[in-house]
Amino acid sequence: MSIYLKLVKALIASVEPTAEEKGRKKIFYGIMAFIAVFFIMIPMAFLIGIIIYVLTAKLLQLGSGQNAAELFLQLTAVFSFVFGLNVIFSVFYFSGDIESLLPLPLRPSKIIASKFTAALISESIMEFIIIIAVFSGYIIASGLPFYTWIIALFGMITLPIVPLAYCAVICIIVMLITGFIKNKDTVNKITGVLTFAVIIGLAVLISKSGGLDTEHLVNALSDRNNSLIGILGVIFPHISFLMNSMTEHTILNLLIYIGINILAVAIFMIIAEAFYLDTVAGVSRSAVSKKKSLSKSISSVKAGRPSISYLKKEFRILFRTPAYFMNCILINLIWPIFLYLIYVLQGKTNFLSSFIDGINSGNEFYVLIFILGISAVSVLVTAANCIASSAFTREGSHLAFIKYIPLSYMAQINIKALVSIIISGAGMLIYVIAASLYLHLGIKLMLFCCIISLLSVAFASYFGIFMDSVNPKLIWDSELNALRGNYNIFFNMAMAIVIEGITCAGAYLAFSFTNIGSLIIMLSLLILLMILTAVSYLLCKFKATANIDKMSV
Amino acid sequence: MISFENVTKVYNKTIRAVDDISFNVKGGEIVGFIGPNGSGKTTTMKLLTGIIKADVGKITVNGFNVRKQPLEAKASIGYIADSPDMFLRLKGTEFLDLIGDIYRVPTDDRRKRIKEFAERFELSDSLGSPIMSYSHGMRQKIMVIAALLHDPPVWILDEPMVGLDPKSAYELKQMMREHAKAGNAVFFSTHVLEVAEKLCDRVIIIKKGHLLYDGTLDELENKNKNGSLEEIFLELTGNDKKEKELSE
Repeated sequence: MSIYLKLVKALIASVEPTAEEKGRKKIFYGIMAFIAVFFIMIPMAFLIGIIIYVLTAKLLQLGSGQNAAELFLQLTAVFSFVFGLNVIFSVFYFSGDIESLLPLPLRPSKIIASKFTAALISESIMEFIIIIAVFSGYIIASGLPFYTWIIALFGMITLPIVPLAYCAVICIIVMLITGFIKNKDTVNKITGVLTFAVIIGLAVLISKSGGLDTEHLVNALSDRNNSLIGILGVIFPHISFLMNSMTEHTILNLLIYIGINILAVAIFMIIAEAFYLDTVAGVSRSAVSKKKSLSKSISSVKAGRPSISYLKKEFRILFRTPAYFMNCILINLIWPIFLYLIYVLQGKTNFLSSFIDGINSGNEFYVLIFILGISAVSVLVTAANCIASSAFTREGSHLAFIKYIPLSYMAQINIKALVSIIISGAGMLIYVIAASLYLHLGIKLMLFCCIISLLSVAFASYFGIFMDSVNPKLIWDSELNALRGNYNIFFNMAMAIVIEGITCAGAYLAFSFTNIGSLIIMLSLLILLMILTAVSYLLCKFKATANIDKMSV
Repeated sequence: MISFENVTKVYNKTIRAVDDISFNVKGGEIVGFIGPNGSGKTTTMKLLTGIIKADVGKITVNGFNVRKQPLEAKASIGYIADSPDMFLRLKGTEFLDLIGDIYRVPTDDRRKRIKEFAERFELSDSLGSPIMSYSHGMRQKIMVIAALLHDPPVWILDEPMVGLDPKSAYELKQMMREHAKAGNAVFFSTHVLEVAEKLCDRVIIIKKGHLLYDGTLDELENKNKNGSLEEIFLELTGNDKKEKELSE
C-alpha cells in the first residue's frame, strides 16, 4: 500500500507545478488564484447551485425532487468520461514515466492503480466543485438532515471514479485490439476525434430532450419516462443509488453505491493486470516509419525564410502531437456546438429567436450585443485553446533552443502569436461571416465584426503569451501534462474573462444608462481593443522578452 | 574566437556556479573542458551560447559581445546541447531544414552538407523519419548535424560523444580536427579523459565554478610526473591543496 501511495504522490507531483516554480512567483500565483476563484469558480458554483435549488424546489411539488440534481450529476459524469478518455490514454500509454516504471518490480495493477488515482485527483478538482454545488442546491432546497452533507462530501470525492474506470477499461481494450496499428499516435488521435463525435452526439441527444425554460425543464424532469435520465441511469447506475441514500434515509443504497464503485474498479484492475503490460509494450515498439533514400529525403530540403520555417515548425508540432491536436486545435470546433445547443434549448423563452429578430430589424441594442458577444467569444476561444498561453510551456525541456538560435525573442513571440491568431482567428472568422450572412448584417457591419473578432483574438494571443512567459511550466513528462494542471492556462483564461467582462459590461452600461449612441460605443470598443492589443504587444516586447532571459530548465 | 573575461554566474543568490572565470580559445584550437559533475561546465556552455546571462564579466564569441550583439554571436556558434530529445515530432529533414533556414544556409550548401554528414554518421536512411523513431544515438547524431550545418566558426559542444557509436564518435573527432585545422575554434566538454588526451590542444579544468587549470596536457603531466592523466585529474578535482598549488 505504501508503494502505491508513494507512486500516487510522485505522479501527482509530476503534473503540479513544483514548489520551486510556485516559490518563484508566489505573489503572481496568489493574485491569479484569487481572480480564478472569485471570478470563475465561485460564480460558476453559485450559479449551478441556484439552478438546482430552483428546479428541485419546483420538482418537489411534483414528487420528483431528486431528478434535477441526478440529471446534472449524470451529465457531469458524461463530461468526466468524455474528457477523461484522452487523459487516461495519455497517462497510461504516452507519459514519460512509463519507461521508468515498467522495469520496476511492480505488478501492472499497482502501476495502473497509482496512475489512475493520480489522474483522478488531478483531473477532478473542477468536477468536485460542480458536484458539491449540485448537492448544496439539492440539500438546501429539499431541507435534508445534516448527515446528508457527509454523504455529499463522500459523493464529491467518489463520483468521478466510475466514469474514469470506464475510460480506463475502454483505453486498455482499444490498445489491445489496435495492436496492429504501428503508430500509436494515430490511435490517440482517432480516439480524440471519436471523443469529439461523442460530444456532438450528446449535444444532439440533449437538444431532443426539450428546452431550457424552467417550465419545460420541470415537466421533462418530472416525467418518469424521461429518456435522457433513463439512458444515463443505465450507464451510470451508481448516481441514483447515492441520491436515494440521501432521500430514503437507508444505508442499503449507500452500500450498493459503494459496491458499484468497487466493482467498476475491480473490473478495471483485472483487465489492467491481464493486458496492460502487453499493450504498453506495444507502444514502446511503435513510432517506426518507413526508410527513405537519402536523395529522396534531401530533395525536400530547400532554403526559405526563417520566420516561415519557424511558423511551419509550430504548426507541425501542434497538429502532430495528439495532446496538442485535441486541446489546442479540435477544441476550436466545440464551442459552436454549445451555441447550437443554446439555440435548440432556448425553449419557450425564445430569447435567441427574439435576439435574431431584433438584429434583423436593425435594433441598435441587439446589434451592439452581437458585436460584444463576438469580441467575448473571440477572446474566450483564444484563451481556451491555450495555443498562446502554452507557447513557452510547450517548449519544455528544450526551451534553450529559443535562446541560442540567432532569431530575436520578439520575432519568435510574433510567430507564436501568429500561430494562435491564425488558428483561433480563422475559426472565428468563418463563424462570424456565417452568422453575419445569416443575420443579414450587410457587408460593412460584417467587416466591422471581423475586425473586432481579429483584434480580440490578437489581444488574447499576445496577452496569453505574456502570461505564459511569467512562469511557464517547463518540466513535464508528456505533452498532455504540459497542459494539464497548468495554472497559467487557467489564470490566463480568468484574466481574459475579467478584462473582456469589464469591456463588455462597460459598453452595455454606457448604452443602457447614457445617451451615447451605439455607433460611438462600437467605435470606442474598436479603439479599446486596439489599445488592449497594443498594450499586450508591448508587454511581450518589454516584459516577456526579459522573462525569457530568466527562464531556465 | 572565444573570450571569457572574469565571468561570474550565481544561481538563487547563493550558488556560485561559475566564479570569476577567464579563458580564451583561439582559432585553430581544440579545447577540452573537463570537470566533475556539478562543476559548472554546462553553465559555462550556456553562458557562451547566450542561454543564460552572466552576472559579472564579458563574453565574446567570434568578436561579438554575447550580451550586446547576441544575434551575431549566436549565428557564429554551432551548439550541441546536453540533451538530444528535441522536436521529436519533426522528421529529420524538417528539423535540419528549420535549422538551415534559421542560420540562413543556402539550399545547395545545405543539401551538400546534410548528404556528407548523413553518410559519415550513417543516418542516410533515417532522415525522412520522425526524430521520435530515432534511438538516443541517432538523435545525438542529428543534433550534431544540425549544429554543424551552417559551418560556424565556433563549435561549442556539450558532451558531444554521449550516445554515439564508436564509428560516429570517430567521425565526429575527425570533423573536430578538420574544423580546427580550417582555422575555427572547437570548445567541448567531456568526461572521457582519453578523448581529451587524444584530441585536445589544450584543456581547461573546472571544479565548483573555479578554474583549476588552463594549459596543455603535456604541461599538466610535466607538473605531475607520478601518474596518468586520469590519476592527475582525480587528484586535482578531489584535492583542495593540489587545486591551490596548480592555480598558483
